[in-house]
Amino acid sequence: MAERSELDRECDAFARYLGASVGDGYVREQYWAAHAAGAVELPSTTSFERAVVSLARSVPLLVRPLDAHARVFSNGGLLRRKLVLLLAILEVRAPHDEELDTPTGTSVPGMFLRMVWLGLVFGVLLACGMLLSLPIWLASRLGASR
Amino acid sequence: MKRVVVVGSGASGVHFAQTALERGAYVTLVDVGRTAPAPVLPDASFARFKREHDDPAGYFLGRKFEAVMFPGAKGEYYGFPPHKGFIFASLERFRARAQGFEPLSSFARGGLAEAWTGGAFPFHERELRDFPFDARELHASYGTVARRIGVSGTDDDLSRFTPVHEHLAPSLPLDAHSRSLLARYGRERERLNAGLGVWMGRTRAAVRSDERDGRHGCTNLGRCLWSCPREALYTPSITLRALLKHERFTYLDGRFATRIEADEANRVRRLHLVELATGRPETLEASSIVLAAGTLASGKLFLDSLRAHGGRAPVLEGLMDNRQVLVPYIHLPMLRQRYEPDSYQYHQLALGLEREDPRHYVHGLVTTLKTALIHPIVQSVPFDLKSALWIFRNAHAALGIVNVNFHDERRAECRLELESDGDGSRLLVRYEPAREEPERMRSALGTVRKALWKLGCIVPPGMAHVRPMGASVHYAGTVPMSAQARPLATSPDGESHDLRGLFFADGSTFPFLPAKNLTFTLMANAERIARRWCDAQA
Ligand SMILES: Cc1cc2nc3c(=O)[nH]c(=O)nc-3n(C[C@H](O)[C@H](O)[C@H](O)COP(=O)(O)OP(=O)(O)OC[C@H]3O[C@@H](n4cnc5c(N)ncnc54)[C@H](O)[C@@H]3O)c2cc1C
Ligand code: SF4
Repeated sequence: MAERSELDRECDAFARYLGASVGDGYVREQYWAAHAAGAVELPSTTSFERAVVSLARSVPLLVRPLDAHARVFSNGGLLRRKLVLLLAILEVRAPHDEELDTPTGTSVPGMFLRMVWLGLVFGVLLACGMLLSLPIWLASRLGASR
Repeated sequence: MKRVVVVGSGASGVHFAQTALERGAYVTLVDVGRTAPAPVLPDASFARFKREHDDPAGYFLGRKFEAVMFPGAKGEYYGFPPHKGFIFASLERFRARAQGFEPLSSFARGGLAEAWTGGAFPFHERELRDFPFDARELHASYGTVARRIGVSGTDDDLSRFTPVHEHLAPSLPLDAHSRSLLARYGRERERLNAGLGVWMGRTRAAVRSDERDGRHGCTNLGRCLWSCPREALYTPSITLRALLKHERFTYLDGRFATRIEADEANRVRRLHLVELATGRPETLEASSIVLAAGTLASGKLFLDSLRAHGGRAPVLEGLMDNRQVLVPYIHLPMLRQRYEPDSYQYHQLALGLEREDPRHYVHGLVTTLKTALIHPIVQSVPFDLKSALWIFRNAHAALGIVNVNFHDERRAECRLELESDGDGSRLLVRYEPAREEPERMRSALGTVRKALWKLGCIVPPGMAHVRPMGASVHYAGTVPMSAQARPLATSPDGESHDLRGLFFADGSTFPFLPAKNLTFTLMANAERIARRWCDAQA
């Protein structure tokens, strides 16, 4: 399990990515408690998954492409587990529930156009995520074979 | 003096007990009887609850975060909140194994219906054809039970499938999504009825709209899924609490019934129990014992008793359960609207699909998405979570699900058996779907999709989820009532032909299972059996 300070940093980075305000001590506390309870890491968690999380934590800008990549190639992996855990904590805590789950006020055609746009963006994010993940994956394979 | 011992405090047991007490009997109820935690912030709405509770994650997700649905999780997602864990917690003494079936049992005060969604649909006369008694008898019991528990509904297009009974209270106010669907149905009615054989109407739900008998009416707190803190939504533990005040009622909780002992003339003599806290065996002398432990637990108790009595346990054939298929949909006019947390959370509308054989009627419960946890849904959108959240927040109010229920018939290959298991026995539950099931589902689901389209909804392809057998928890059929006396069956009064004085008041005795949720009929039938039992004693 990562250090408490690292988990706090990770929690803030992921909360910002999901569109919630950061700095809520309760959310950080719960995020940490879930890790301490052993709810997040599985025996099958690989060094590659850990390295991806550590990259996402250090460079918050990369969370989204790494998430897109994980959605397709590693949905049950560590990064997705952590993001979904945080989403679960945020959705039960005010005011984050409202921050995450209020309509954005777009028109219906606007919404459909935006969805097409999101689809295209997802393709690009996925490609970026693959580029980012490839060296990490190779490094972890090399490490493993040594 | 009329005396009876009842096993189980679920929906069946408490209504048998109430009628017996009302008719002058002495009732002893034996129960494992695990208890619920006290309600928290009982007057707070769902939104206020999240603001005011000092540990919402502990409440909604559990201290060990056991209610978080992580990606890739296997098995059926029930979405039960952690504080409902007491309802489904297993019991070491009740051992079971299943093939083709995912059994759920409860050892709670009030049983499984402490977690139910309140659907209370009476069976139609034609669905009672195999039941060996006059349908009017059950109809009277529906009225009695409705008065006790509070059932809301409307005499509308669905009444052709779900008859109107006495004491039907007015339906609750509709949420905006359900209102929009029903308005659309009004416009498309002719085409849906004549073209597709589909009818829509208000659901029937065991939820009080008015204040009565110390129970509050529904005030739209939106916490139904998390256990209604006002008890507007009926659960059997409410009846049990009232029974506890009765001077002729004895409640023996913390006890596990192990077997019934009978004499050489096959008459029941006593019930064997174990006090769970100490492991101490106990016996209760009784000449009338009523099994209301739920179809699976009653079946095991019956088999263990027959084995002890005759040296060998037979096989109980005919286990039934409703196959359920969940069909998610998007109701387009509700896109970009705000979802309504402050409204009744369970199904407010129902769909009825007419079939050539009226007993094959297909029943759909329409639930609009409100306060269920969102992370299991958001993570299933095939995008990164940021995009998925954007789509979800604009679609939340438009999302709904039709829970399509299919009938079931007794078949020999669906059965309960006993296996030896060390010092005791284990229940083996086997289920095999009917051969014609795939075709039946394909045809009905096609009709549901077309009907939803006409109602302004789209069904995302590939998203329908066939629930495993056992998931609907509508178990029945293993010791059926029959007009002819035969082994492993009961009389129309629910009395076993194998052991005299042994009665079944739960789903075990149903000879047929229509597509409708059965619990209202379980309660009505238990009430009917109690009346007959009291009459026979008199
Ligand atoms: C999530 C969910 C939603 C549902 N929604 C609906 C719905 O909308 N409509 C509907 O009609 N149905 C619904 N159901 C089904 C409904 O809950 C059951 O059909 C009903 O509760 C069965 O009642 P019962 O009294 O026969 O048995 P149970 O509820 O199983 O009660 C059994 C009782 O027996 C006791 N017991 C068991 N074995 C022993 C023993 N050996 N010794 C002592 N005590 C024992 C237990 O403690 C318990 O009190 C739902 C179920 C679930 C889980
Ligand atoms: S909306 Fe649900 S939780 Fe609220 S009072 Fe009504 S039944 Fe109870």
